[in-house]
Amino acid sequence: MAATDAERDLDAERPDTRLSKDTRERLTAIGRHAVLLAWSVVVLFPFYWIVSMSLKPAREAISLPPKWIFLPTVIHYIELAQNGEFVYAFFNTVLMVSASVILVLLIGVPAAYVLSRYDVPHQRDVLVWILSSRMLPPIAVVIPFFVIFRELNLFDTRIAMIFMYVTINISLVVWVMKAFFDGIPETLEEAANVDGATRFQAFRKVILPSAKPGIISVAIISFIFAWIELLFSLVLTNQQAATVAVQVYQFIGVRQIEWGMLAAASTAVIVPVLVFLIAVNKYLAAGLSFGVVLKE
Amino acid sequence: MSTITAEQSNESGLARLRELWDQYLPYWLATPMVLVMLVITLFPGAYDLYLSLVEYKMSSPGSIGEFAGLSNYRTAFTEAGALKSFGVTLTFVGGALAMQTVLGFAMAALLHGVKSDRAEAFYRVVFILPMAVAPVSLATISRVMLNTEVGIIPYLVRELTPFAAPTFLSDFPLLTLMLVDTWHWTPFMFIIFYAGLSSIPDTLVEASRVDGAPLWRRYVHVILPYMKPVLFVAVLIRMIDLFRHFGLAFTLTGGGPGTATQLVSLNVYEQGFRFVDLGAAAAIAVVYLLFVIAVANVLIAKVGFEGVWE
Repeated sequence: MAATDAERDLDAERPDTRLSKDTRERLTAIGRHAVLLAWSVVVLFPFYWIVSMSLKPAREAISLPPKWIFLPTVIHYIELAQNGEFVYAFFNTVLMVSASVILVLLIGVPAAYVLSRYDVPHQRDVLVWILSSRMLPPIAVVIPFFVIFRELNLFDTRIAMIFMYVTINISLVVWVMKAFFDGIPETLEEAANVDGATRFQAFRKVILPSAKPGIISVAIISFIFAWIELLFSLVLTNQQAATVAVQVYQFIGVRQIEWGMLAAASTAVIVPVLVFLIAVNKYLAAGLSFGVVLKE
Repeated sequence: MSTITAEQSNESGLARLRELWDQYLPYWLATPMVLVMLVITLFPGAYDLYLSLVEYKMSSPGSIGEFAGLSNYRTAFTEAGALKSFGVTLTFVGGALAMQTVLGFAMAALLHGVKSDRAEAFYRVVFILPMAVAPVSLATISRVMLNTEVGIIPYLVRELTPFAAPTFLSDFPLLTLMLVDTWHWTPFMFIIFYAGLSSIPDTLVEASRVDGAPLWRRYVHVILPYMKPVLFVAVLIRMIDLFRHFGLAFTLTGGGPGTATQLVSLNVYEQGFRFVDLGAAAAIAVVYLLFVIAVANVLIAKVGFEGVWE
């Protein structure tokens, strides 16, 4: 809209410019797409590079000038699939992260509803308090939990990691969902109450379905934040609960020369989230609007 | 919400439970969150505070517990380079936040004007992809692409421009870190701004257009004020996440060269796990936490919640 508006404004000021309106609109459209495409290239090129590297035979992987045309090989992926630790960590991470997302939604969404609909004393302070859990540098969080997990025999367990993932995401879930519930008119519940539903039934059957885009988008973001987390797994896991991020990190340290393997491992970590993001991207935009969408 | 009457107490236990459930609904719904929040805010904070006040070097077991006064704080700010790491962090947060906000908004505004639905869907998907990349993977990719000998980016600079290719990670490490982080997280700003722009009622923009307001005035006086809550929440959350940045810096630069990219979280990690001085590490963490909370509070007080939570 922006640039075409500019056109119309120019029109108003200088009605007799030489180029026709159509031509100028086309020119701004071209300019707009040029910038958008340029940023697309910046975004996509690293993906292309890492994937192509993972498909190149070892000798060609880092040769310069780059081999733009090559015979792809899946040898690195086969090697990766035979790496028991990597495969275990991969599926272990999927399991732990998924469980943590379900848990954080179960805890955070009802609380956000309460913050949105009820007269919570010191609401502002409560919200800042919730956000403050995200202000602690993870390293300052990890030392105390390292000590207590040892005491409770929870070191290197899935339960401990799932809990840590909940701590990362709880504030985001509450903040985004509170804003989202704020955007849903209260008349919806009132109507349900008139129909004889209790407050909880109204929440479950009327409000939750209306909040679906927000829930989905906050679930995606929570999944991503947990999936890419490195420090907690680095310090709090060993074998049982090891995550895929740590595995990739170890590739960097130990096998610095094996670019192909490294590229394949990195690709394997990116792809699940990528597929997930593309599948649900429609909801993401609607859900992350912090309630403004529905307010108008 | 009245008290339980005699009549109701005669009903079955299940019905009474349901009564209690409905009567105290907000408490039940909020309790799990409150419990989790208490554990994750009070416990680490208090434990860090305790650690910062005692002598605790993991290298000498059994030495924990001796009250050390403020000596850990002195160590942290004189020997451990905490001040320098605060400066590095502020530069990093300020620079990266500015880049990501401006770029994210620009791309959202440009995309908002695209007429074709298919083109719009394509850009929207592409622009959010970087968020899917784990910092570990991103560090790998960046190292390969920026490497002076085997990297494609220095190669392209050499081949396509008259300039000598810079050695990114040693010539301007902090800027490189900011740029990589900008590639990584501009999508977060983009998607929020884009959703915000899409939600502006057409009538609002139409009215200002009829008034003959030029484009920039429309942005300054109509669009940006309307977007204020969205801008505020996005900037606040992104700022906090930048303050806690760890994974990418740890794997890409490790704080180096020297201490050029040593963010506070890397400094704390180094004190705690490399120099095994948990006391000094905790002292830095405590000061840093107070600092970040103060910054966030100033921001919240200045901009105000009113626009966000009407």
